[in-house]
Amino acid sequence: MTEMTTSRQGARIGEWLAFYGLSVLVALLLSALLVEATGGDWRPVVSALLDGSLRRPGRWGETLGTAAPMLLVAVGTIISGKAGLVNIGQEGQLFVGAAFATYFGFLVGGPGPFNLVIIVIFGAVGGALWAGVAALLKFWRNVPEVLSTLLLVAVGGQVVAYGLSQSWLLLAPLGDRGNRNQVSQQLPKNNRLPSPEVFGNRIPLAVVIGLVSAVAVSAVLARTVWGFRLRMLGRNSRAAQRSGVSQTGYGASALMISGAFAGLAGAVMLAGGGFAFGNYQLVPGFATNIGWTGLLVALVAREKALVAIPVAFVFAGLRTGSSFVGSTGVEGRITDVIQGFLVLALLVPPAVMFIRDRRRAQAAAAERV
Amino acid sequence: MMSGFFGAIIDIVSSESTYINGALFAAFLVFAASGEFVAERAGTLNISVEGMLLGGAFTSAIGYHLTDSMLIALVTGVAGGLIVAGVQAEMSHRLTADQFVVGLTLNILVFGLAGFLDNEIEPETQLASRWEIPLLHDIPLFGTALFGQRWPFYFLFLLLPATWWIVFRTRWGLELRSVGENPQSADVSGIDVNKRRRQSIYYAGFTSGMGGWFLIFGQIGLFEDSVVGGRGFIAIAAVIFGGWTVRGTVAGCVIFAGALSFRLSVQGLGYQVNSELLQSLPFIVTLGGMAIFAHRVRAPAALAQPFVRGLK
Amino acid sequence: MTPSSTDRNGADPHAGSALAVDLRKITKRFGAVTACDSVDLALRRGRIHGILGENGAGKSTLMKMLIGLVLPDEGTICIDGVEQKIHSPSDASRLGLGMVHQHFSLVEALTVWENVALGETGRLDPTAIRNRIGDIADQYGLVIEPDAQVGNLTAGLRQRVEIIKCLRRDPSIVIFDEPTSVLTPEESAQLFESLRHVVADEGRAVVLVSHKLDEILHATDDISIMRQGAVVNRLLAEDADAPTLARGMVGREVSLRSERAAFGLLAANAAPTAVHDNQIGDVVLTMSGVTVRGLSGIRALDDLSIELRAGEIVGVAGVEGNGQRELGDLLSSLVSLDAGSVSVNGEHIPAGRSGAMAKAGVGVIPEDRHDSGVVLDMSVAENLVLVDQSNVANRGLIDQHALEAFAVELIEQFGILCAGPHAPMWSLSGGNQQRVVLARELAQHPVVLVAAQPTRGLDVGAIEYMGERLTAAASAGVAVLLISSELEEILDLSHRIVVMHSGRIVGEMNRAAVDIEQLGLLMGGAAT
Repeated sequence: MTEMTTSRQGARIGEWLAFYGLSVLVALLLSALLVEATGGDWRPVVSALLDGSLRRPGRWGETLGTAAPMLLVAVGTIISGKAGLVNIGQEGQLFVGAAFATYFGFLVGGPGPFNLVIIVIFGAVGGALWAGVAALLKFWRNVPEVLSTLLLVAVGGQVVAYGLSQSWLLLAPLGDRGNRNQVSQQLPKNNRLPSPEVFGNRIPLAVVIGLVSAVAVSAVLARTVWGFRLRMLGRNSRAAQRSGVSQTGYGASALMISGAFAGLAGAVMLAGGGFAFGNYQLVPGFATNIGWTGLLVALVAREKALVAIPVAFVFAGLRTGSSFVGSTGVEGRITDVIQGFLVLALLVPPAVMFIRDRRRAQAAAAERV
Repeated sequence: MMSGFFGAIIDIVSSESTYINGALFAAFLVFAASGEFVAERAGTLNISVEGMLLGGAFTSAIGYHLTDSMLIALVTGVAGGLIVAGVQAEMSHRLTADQFVVGLTLNILVFGLAGFLDNEIEPETQLASRWEIPLLHDIPLFGTALFGQRWPFYFLFLLLPATWWIVFRTRWGLELRSVGENPQSADVSGIDVNKRRRQSIYYAGFTSGMGGWFLIFGQIGLFEDSVVGGRGFIAIAAVIFGGWTVRGTVAGCVIFAGALSFRLSVQGLGYQVNSELLQSLPFIVTLGGMAIFAHRVRAPAALAQPFVRGLK
Repeated sequence: MTPSSTDRNGADPHAGSALAVDLRKITKRFGAVTACDSVDLALRRGRIHGILGENGAGKSTLMKMLIGLVLPDEGTICIDGVEQKIHSPSDASRLGLGMVHQHFSLVEALTVWENVALGETGRLDPTAIRNRIGDIADQYGLVIEPDAQVGNLTAGLRQRVEIIKCLRRDPSIVIFDEPTSVLTPEESAQLFESLRHVVADEGRAVVLVSHKLDEILHATDDISIMRQGAVVNRLLAEDADAPTLARGMVGREVSLRSERAAFGLLAANAAPTAVHDNQIGDVVLTMSGVTVRGLSGIRALDDLSIELRAGEIVGVAGVEGNGQRELGDLLSSLVSLDAGSVSVNGEHIPAGRSGAMAKAGVGVIPEDRHDSGVVLDMSVAENLVLVDQSNVANRGLIDQHALEAFAVELIEQFGILCAGPHAPMWSLSGGNQQRVVLARELAQHPVVLVAAQPTRGLDVGAIEYMGERLTAAASAGVAVLLISSELEEILDLSHRIVVMHSGRIVGEMNRAAVDIEQLGLLMGGAAT
């Protein structure tokens, strides 16, 4: 009921920064403590992280390239989140999407750029269909999507593993297989996403796709009628039902779109990833936790697609940095722990501030019923 | 082909090892699910069960590694579960952070921590000794499965009835249930809603910590970061599948454990079944079970709805 | 200061009545709003004390402080002469204070005895509780089946459980908070009879909190009138009359002829009403044989048939819990039909299909706006286009300027108090949120407007405003379906009155020829 003056707004931003800054500091402190407690030294770890993610030549390109699929997954998660759905099956949707991309990429063939388009489209289709299974289970049989999407990650892994063991599906012919027995054919050079060199770094086109997606989704959610109605569904499904936003229609669409983005991430990993992502071949475990990390990015970004961009970069940095940490004598897995601490720490400030704000304004309106 | 199939089924169903494994798998799930049952009856959707189980398993391994005592390991295991529960409970029901986000993050964090520390410390553990209950364990088929297991298994015979009694016969249980159905009414009646919810999460931490201990000392005998392998989520499914009743939850655990055990038996008895299908069988059964039953069951009315007084 | 009043004979009517509760200078602020402003209140044993005030006057906050749900910022509370601090409902209960709540105190999934036991401390003893329920039944005639599930009980029975729950702890000070919304006129009379017993038999003090003049006038001994957080008048019931009370409630001269409904005064037969003679047109809404089964299989709506004509206001009278909520939900496309049909302007509307009713021109002011009427986290402007964005949309995009302009216009037209079109909905008061709903629905130019309990929780000014708007809508040709458990409101606004009981329409009469007694009987379920 009160309008905020500029000085109060300034104070709020300061408060906000301090709160978040403090939380991040605590998370980093805990991580450093852990490193020390297990006999390591935190300074070389930090240095290694910075080396691996930014400082060494070519690394920040790697980081960007890793951030791209994470961002895509996050953007998709934000869409299903806005609709009030909890999708935690991105890891599986990504993998199935990549599998579809591989299969149809080789099936349809065609010249380089055309083939790329096929790969990307079918990646999205695969992810959407896999999420669609969860949507079907939810809207037809009332199975909570938080469980179905998760269980489908395991099932998806097995389905694709089966595909990789069958030469009529995904398995590469004998000559192209090398020593491995579950691997797809490698994408020919012309059918890979270009990675132009910028200041000595290879930056895959996937980064552009990711950025464009984030901006587009942010705009769609904020400015279109469809986005408006989706947000309504997520906030009050009964008001939405009255207004013509059917949970089944919009909800299933949102879930499938979210799966499509995860599948798209899988496709760009396949077609543009280089050694970081299986070297243009589909293998078991292809997703390498990109799906899970993308989910975390969305959670930390609190459902704001534009905020997801820097967050994805930070998490990607942790990942690319972790490969350099091993040489300091500390387990590379420390970055998983740092990630976990960071996410938890970042959850605290908004929760506390939300409660405080709501209480203030509600109290002002309280007795006037 | 068909006679081969039926022959195989009969083989599996009449093999004692099917039941022994089934009981072990089911027991682990019940440890987890009994706590989750309590948490969900109080209206919280606690998806950090996976983290509680893993945390408990790890801390119990450490406890044994340091003291060579399985009882101390039990204590440290429970402590591990309670610590994870503490983070979940305080963050989602005191600080009002989103419980899904906290739970998911905790799972990932515990996985990372346990993996990291496991490599640093490499705790050594072993299996507990078997206690065969005289007479009972000679019953054909089920005897060994229920009465011939290693001694951590028998804790379940205490835990399960205790859980039922606590939820349905004590005042704490009554308040817990009211908080899960209608927190506004409970609040007006003088009950501290979020306190009860936190306590229910701590209970889940307690049983899951015990479950983690059981997993190491009653079933597997060693610790790896993959030792829980998603079964925390199956436990959640069991609670839903069972319609939020004790009986239903146990039934759900048994059925899913059956699928896990079936998978083992098929491989153990030397049958050739598509390995990917086998691997995914428990998850498919879980999905199928939910698809059949989720429609008909009635959840606690306030499940997964956070409560803050004054905010409707 | 305890008031010293004398009755007509000059004697002090309070002599011999002990002071059960003495509130002095009780103050409570919520941010910038002062809910209770230095309130002094004295409650005496053996007497029924009425606290009269419109919604928002501070009565509920005051009672919440007595019952331990809210802590006072200043002031003291003395119980039986001893100063006390009441920090929680258990504190209050220990001091002998008990409240029969209007809503929000029972858990539907639990049985009667479990609900009665809720909030106590100590070991759970079902037998003892069942016995106690039996004792109370004998003593006060409040019979109930202890093992019944509360979710299956009617609203009247649920209130009985609330009363038992309160009396079980043997409170010496009993507070009744707006108890009659769920009762028929006859049941209300019975309730007030019981209140006399409660007070007389054991020297208890009873407080009746209400916004209805009639109740306070006839059922209480002492009256305190609250307005805007302060006690503005104290008098004996026998010295009070309707005009004085009304004046105290709103602080100005009141024409009880035109405003009586807002004060909860029942209009007599012959009294002129606010109903205008509209041009009543063709039938626009037809519901025939409508049956809706609730969750437990019980028919919430049972073969219900009703017709609505353009320009008329049809009041659906009835006690809460007889299917009114489901009726509102049905017309909001929130439930589907098990039998029967709904048509608007002759066209059949599929029930349960999202948005179908709204699209057909059925506007709804829902019973609980938070449930299906507004989205609290969205802005006022967004809430104003919740149902239909076509006014502000351009090829799939929302035109921000158009949205803002649209919102600003409605805000002005309907007098919505808010920080601006982009203010979040949760920052508005209840009354203003209701105005947003009203504005939105009317801006759609509906064919039918369903107003379900539209003035619940609103203050007198807001109640009158709503009445005016509904009447204006009818004059403009909208068919208005007014669903309300407040009989005064029904009588004030309706051209035609139907009574709803157990999910069906059990009686109908024209406003001009209304028979209040008959209405009461029908509301209570007695056959014609």
